[in-house]
Amino acid sequence: MKTLKLYWLAFSTALQAKFEYRVDFFLGVLTSCMLQLSALVSLWVIFTQTPNLNGWSKEEIILLFGMVAGALGLSELFFNHIWMVPFYIVMGELDRLLTYPVNSLYFLLITRPELHSFGNLVTGLVLSYWALYHLNAPLLYYFLLPLFLFSGCLLYTAGLVLFASLSFRFIAPTSMHLMIPHNLLNATRYPVTIYPAAVQWILLILVPFGSFHYLPASWLFGKEPGLGLALAVLAASLVFFWESGWFWRWGLKQYESTGS
Amino acid sequence: MRPLQPPLTFTQNLESYRSLLVRCLKGSFSYKSTTINNLLTTLVAYAITIMIWHQVYQQNPNHVIPSTQMYVYLLLAGAVNYAMSLGMEFRIGQRIRTGLIATDLLKPIDFQMAQAIQSISDGLFNGALSFVVFSLGFFLFGTQMLPSSPSAFLLFLVSFVLGFTVIYGIGFVFVQGAFYTYSGYGIFAARNALQFTFSGFSAPLDYYPPLLRTITDYLPFRHTIYTPVAIYMGWVTGPAAYLLLLQQLGWTVGLFLVGKFLMGRALKQLEVQGG
Repeated sequence: MKTLKLYWLAFSTALQAKFEYRVDFFLGVLTSCMLQLSALVSLWVIFTQTPNLNGWSKEEIILLFGMVAGALGLSELFFNHIWMVPFYIVMGELDRLLTYPVNSLYFLLITRPELHSFGNLVTGLVLSYWALYHLNAPLLYYFLLPLFLFSGCLLYTAGLVLFASLSFRFIAPTSMHLMIPHNLLNATRYPVTIYPAAVQWILLILVPFGSFHYLPASWLFGKEPGLGLALAVLAASLVFFWESGWFWRWGLKQYESTGS
Repeated sequence: MRPLQPPLTFTQNLESYRSLLVRCLKGSFSYKSTTINNLLTTLVAYAITIMIWHQVYQQNPNHVIPSTQMYVYLLLAGAVNYAMSLGMEFRIGQRIRTGLIATDLLKPIDFQMAQAIQSISDGLFNGALSFVVFSLGFFLFGTQMLPSSPSAFLLFLVSFVLGFTVIYGIGFVFVQGAFYTYSGYGIFAARNALQFTFSGFSAPLDYYPPLLRTITDYLPFRHTIYTPVAIYMGWVTGPAAYLLLLQQLGWTVGLFLVGKFLMGRALKQLEVQGG
């Protein structure tokens, strides 16, 4: 309980510090909405050329778009600090963190919330609920949606931790390699069945970003798996998030700090 | 009041810019693992867009643009976009937030030019990686990857350079906002969203709905990707291609002047952070 309080204090303090840059906050929210909308424009262009994508209608794909935006927003709000790890390794700035009597990964994750995340989160929720309404989804799905988004947030963050841990081995002052999981997440805005089998395997099994929305949506639209498999994703995301800690500890063993 | 040091001569200025370019390039190439990471990231991003359009063409092969041309367009559009990925917004935003911008402004070289040199360095580094990725396309699409004619290739090179100056101009205008927001993310994301939507990165503008196409015509973003790539593909030739080059030049000059004006305004209200 004491540890949880400490985490909360660290998170809320970091959040207050971020709110100091108010103009940046409003601009960040606005522009993250713009980024989501620009992706929707691409979808619009695609649907001017085809009535559906492998049997998925525009509204069904908008649900996937919304869920990805929501999960991304949650991850940016609570766990965004992971993006700074490559820079901290180069500068030797992890030293102080490692002396704290807390879990270094979890403490790091929550201490740099990004306020533009609200833009992604709000856009994601609006798109998701809009799609559910237009698809006449059962009420149960409305209640399960936040759980699926949380699950997506954990999966995506775990993927980022995995790639960030590689920074301990391949030292460079850039977080460009974290764009790989980011791009993979964005790939799942479209139904994974449009990709070749190997890519489907990556997106559903190896780095299972596609599972938290594709499987529940498939269940909703009566395309493939049942509710059981959709709910199993929730448990799987917790396991995947916990497992990412192994990679973090592997990385930390190689951390050498700097001499200056 | 006596200046801190006499202004640099033209030759001294050139030497300063050359040294800066060499230093920036060395910095970019010094981390080999970064190069591999960047390459992988680029490949993932390109592959996803191509796979989505592959599905569209599988469902209905009869489109205005044949599938092989479409894949070459997307690959080249991705390569051009990557070559034009400048880290200017983050770089300047970070320096404004930490107060290091003060040391940049004290240097005896023009700030706008120094940023241009850094952007050229980014462009050369990213361009080299893009070229590798684009070359891989030859294994998939063979001679379809070649430009429509030698003159189209020459015009493409000119258009690409002009496209680079346009994107730099856009970036520099947008980055002035960081002097008010004290952060580069919002600025970067805004520019990126507009670039992604209106440049023709994810699809040729020929496929855009009329409303979107009209908006695109009034903005400079199409000149960063669609214009050079359409020239390469041979979709625009002769006088029409020269007219596009002129438009690119016009946007470059206009954006440079607007950037200079906005920077003068921004510096008047700048409060240096840190200390």
